[in-house]
Amino acid sequence: MTVINNYWNKWLNKRIPAAAQHQLNHHSIFILPSKFGVLFLSLCVLLFLLGTNYQNNLMLLLCYFLLAIFLVNLLASYINFARINLKIGKCPEVFVDDNLHIPLWLNTNNSDNTAHGLLHFTFQKTKQKSKQSIKIHVLPATTVVDADLFSNPISLSQKCQQRGKLTLSRVTVESFYPLGLYRCWTHLAFTHQITVFPKPIPCEIQLHLSEHNRTNDNATSANSLSGHDDFSHLKTYQLGEPLNHVAWKQLAKGRGMVSKQFDSAGHQLGWLKLSSDYAKRPLLNSNNAPVVALEKELSKLCYQVIELSRLQQTFGLDLGDHCIAPNNGNDHRLACLQALANFPNGNVTNV
Amino acid sequence: MSNKQNLESKKQHSLQSSKNIALLLIAATLVLISFSLFSTVLTWILLLVTCGTVIRGAIYFKYYKHLPSIRTLNLLALLSILGLIYSALNAGLLFGMVNLLVLACALKLMQMRSQKDVYQLIISLFFLIGCGFIFNQSIGFSLFYGLMSLVILFSLACYHAPSIAVQKHIKTISVLSLQAFPIGLLMFLVLPQLSPLWHTPKANGASTGLSEQITPGDIAALSQSSELAFRATFENIPPIAQQRYWRAIVMEDFDGKTWKVHQYRQKMRELQLKTKQQFKPKLTGPYFDYTVIAEPTFQSWLFALDLAQPTGPRGSRNILQSSDFQLFSQQPLANKFQYEVRSYPNALSSQTLTLADKRVNLQVPEQGNKKTRDWVSHLRSQFPDNPSFIQAILRHFVDNPFVYTLRPEVMLVDPIDRFLFDNQAGFCSHYASALAYALRLGGIPSRIVTGYQGGELITNPGDSAYLSVYQYDAHAWVESWSDTTGWQRIDPTALVSPDRIEYGLRQAMLEEGSFLADSPFALARLTNIAWLNNIRLFLADLDYNWSRWVLGFNSQTQRDLFKSILGKLTPERLSMLGLGIVLIIALLLSLFFVPHWLQNRGSTTQRLYLKALNAIEKTGTQRATWQGPNAFNQQINEHYPTIVSEPFTHITQLYLRLSYQNIQDTSTSVLNVKQCHRMMRRYLTQLKTGLLKADTNRIKRT
Repeated sequence: MTVINNYWNKWLNKRIPAAAQHQLNHHSIFILPSKFGVLFLSLCVLLFLLGTNYQNNLMLLLCYFLLAIFLVNLLASYINFARINLKIGKCPEVFVDDNLHIPLWLNTNNSDNTAHGLLHFTFQKTKQKSKQSIKIHVLPATTVVDADLFSNPISLSQKCQQRGKLTLSRVTVESFYPLGLYRCWTHLAFTHQITVFPKPIPCEIQLHLSEHNRTNDNATSANSLSGHDDFSHLKTYQLGEPLNHVAWKQLAKGRGMVSKQFDSAGHQLGWLKLSSDYAKRPLLNSNNAPVVALEKELSKLCYQVIELSRLQQTFGLDLGDHCIAPNNGNDHRLACLQALANFPNGNVTNV
Repeated sequence: MSNKQNLESKKQHSLQSSKNIALLLIAATLVLISFSLFSTVLTWILLLVTCGTVIRGAIYFKYYKHLPSIRTLNLLALLSILGLIYSALNAGLLFGMVNLLVLACALKLMQMRSQKDVYQLIISLFFLIGCGFIFNQSIGFSLFYGLMSLVILFSLACYHAPSIAVQKHIKTISVLSLQAFPIGLLMFLVLPQLSPLWHTPKANGASTGLSEQITPGDIAALSQSSELAFRATFENIPPIAQQRYWRAIVMEDFDGKTWKVHQYRQKMRELQLKTKQQFKPKLTGPYFDYTVIAEPTFQSWLFALDLAQPTGPRGSRNILQSSDFQLFSQQPLANKFQYEVRSYPNALSSQTLTLADKRVNLQVPEQGNKKTRDWVSHLRSQFPDNPSFIQAILRHFVDNPFVYTLRPEVMLVDPIDRFLFDNQAGFCSHYASALAYALRLGGIPSRIVTGYQGGELITNPGDSAYLSVYQYDAHAWVESWSDTTGWQRIDPTALVSPDRIEYGLRQAMLEEGSFLADSPFALARLTNIAWLNNIRLFLADLDYNWSRWVLGFNSQTQRDLFKSILGKLTPERLSMLGLGIVLIIALLLSLFFVPHWLQNRGSTTQRLYLKALNAIEKTGTQRATWQGPNAFNQQINEHYPTIVSEPFTHITQLYLRLSYQNIQDTSTSVLNVKQCHRMMRRYLTQLKTGLLKADTNRIKRT
């Protein structure tokens, strides 16, 4: 089975290579009679037998007409399906165990010649080779979209079970338009840059002091958050600043949008660190317990990264092999999350 | 969780589907089709169908929300099946099957929840339409069933795309049907017409037309019907009115009141049916060929002019001739039946009379009709010579004031006595009955033949003439045997009312005014209004052509068609024809595909530019989506040698000019669009060679 599957996947990859946008054509469309189509054909056979036995020309005419309808439908289904144009949109951030909503844009360019009928979107069932997900057999959920009545983008949800670069399985798109006699389908692979981040687990934030004063490492692994909340002054609000910094009381008094500036302990350069037991052992294969522990550790780090970024604090990330210099801002946050997600192959990150 | 989602989406889907107009349409189609079969389908089943439709309607219009539960339906199904078994047990297999099908559809309609149900119901509906063609084959019904098929297709389309406007669906379906129809027709004309593969149960209905026994007075009732009995197409000139005696049933058993088909003949016929043995009369003299299309009678009698022999593959397979020169088909006529016949008008006289024939044709009841007995024995003593005896009896009809009427008095006791001597007014069966009885009393073998006489001749220029024979053309006459001249036809009605034979019943009944008196609105009665008569004739013509060319299309006609196309039927030519047809179908299909292909091609300008982009993409440089043509051109200029970048710059400029410049500017400028395209093509080839050169250069360098 797996041999056939592999061969099939290889063939598919060659036939329909991954792309950000797909205009369906004869390379990518598969078309065969649906179950109903087979039933319809057997009806034609039955009508032929009946018409022949009763020497009834009208019955034969009906039979041949239906047969011709069946033939013509092949083209009609194909033409309709070939009008589909799918483009993958920008994905939101996603964490392990979250449902990833992948936005697909359908027929954004031409408005007059669009596909009709109900479209069924399903993720192809792929047996992932990772040890964890093999037991969890999720029924692929079908998203039905009425091509005549929908709003772009179509969002397909997929559950993410593994951190790291997302292996997005192929999306199967099906259509039975116009008469349900044929099933037109395709398996589309989309190129994407989605990384699934570890699931954040709330925990205490542990900022280690800078690498250079590692000597008093243990002593000063202080809870530096206390000083962080010290209020310093007010400033006119600028778009993009967090809303929880807005001085609502001032706003209520009619002094306009003013945001509170905190004396963020910027000078307190901290490092988020992965415990050295894990960091030194980049390849974990043999037993399960350390793996779970590592995942938990990464999740905690993830939470801290998010939390610190929310508080606009400057921090660095030390994952043993891979270090990210202390910084702040959204890019930094993303870089950290990527590094966590791709651990232990930290170098893979390419943002 | 996703399972739950799935369920929810399914639920939503079913909710949506119950609102779909497709289901309502399916329900309406079912009602119409089953009511078109009302003569076959039981009333209570029709009632169930109506119930199902009302439920669907109520749900669609939101008067009601719940479908009947599965348990209720199962109970209903059980009861219905029992009822059906009870009522259809002795009504025949076909009847039971059709009723079962309608019943199943009705129950399915009530139960319909999932997509599978819808599909099953639609397939059953198409099958029901097919069954409808067993019972109704007229143009009207065919159009109706055709329309119903389209409605079913339409509802299917609605089901698969619920939010498209109805007009658009109608357009889609009509385009599909228009595309499919020629292909279907081609297949119908070309695919071989096979003979029945196995014996199938035939529809049975109330038999119409002539009956197997007459008590004088019966045919009068028949004469009040203007329904078509059959049509006959003549290759050459049809026989004149006085010779159009269409033989159907021969009656030789007389009990004093009623003439019947003799038991001896019936047994012979059964034997013939078992052994498929033909009776072969001696056929001599001139002959003529014609084709008869008989209307369904649910009897097996066929109609032909004396003395007929079935011809053609279909005729000789299905039609048998009995020893009294009747033609009958092996199965009762449930549908229109077309057969070819060859008639030998002079052959009747050269047949032989067996001893059994003689005995049967001399039989008279011992008692009754005393007056006639006395009269005949008196005449016989006067005229011992057979011909003069017959003349004497016929003279009785001429000399006495006999009247031909459609409203004879009822004669219950000694009917022949009363007819011959008291009333002296009657219909053809009275005359035939009295004459045959009298001849038998006089020792001359004789019998009654019923059938039709006359018919409406319609000649179309350029087409062969055909006769329409209606039920009111029903007639009865006498055949008597003489050792010198064989069987002879004697029609006493011709003596009393020559108009009946020469001009038909309408003319004969002009004075009495009783022609089709019971149906005052029959079109046949209104022949004196010109335009109405024209309509009647037009409809008759249409029906004739329909029966002849559509219903009557068979392997023979098919072979003729092939012959007219190919000239000669050799295997090579036939296979060429088959190949040609397949090619034509493929051509038609691709023809339907062309508009889509043209649409997808885009404009020439765009295509040429995209080709250039593709050529460059092959070398590894892809235009990013955010890059405009100019920006990309700049990138090419920077990265590629001039042999590549120069033609590409030209192409880009031309592309920009053609697609973004004002139309008026382009039309007034030195170069028109075509020239620009030509230039683009030239630069494109330059670009390709340039790329090739650049590639080889690079390889050399490395």
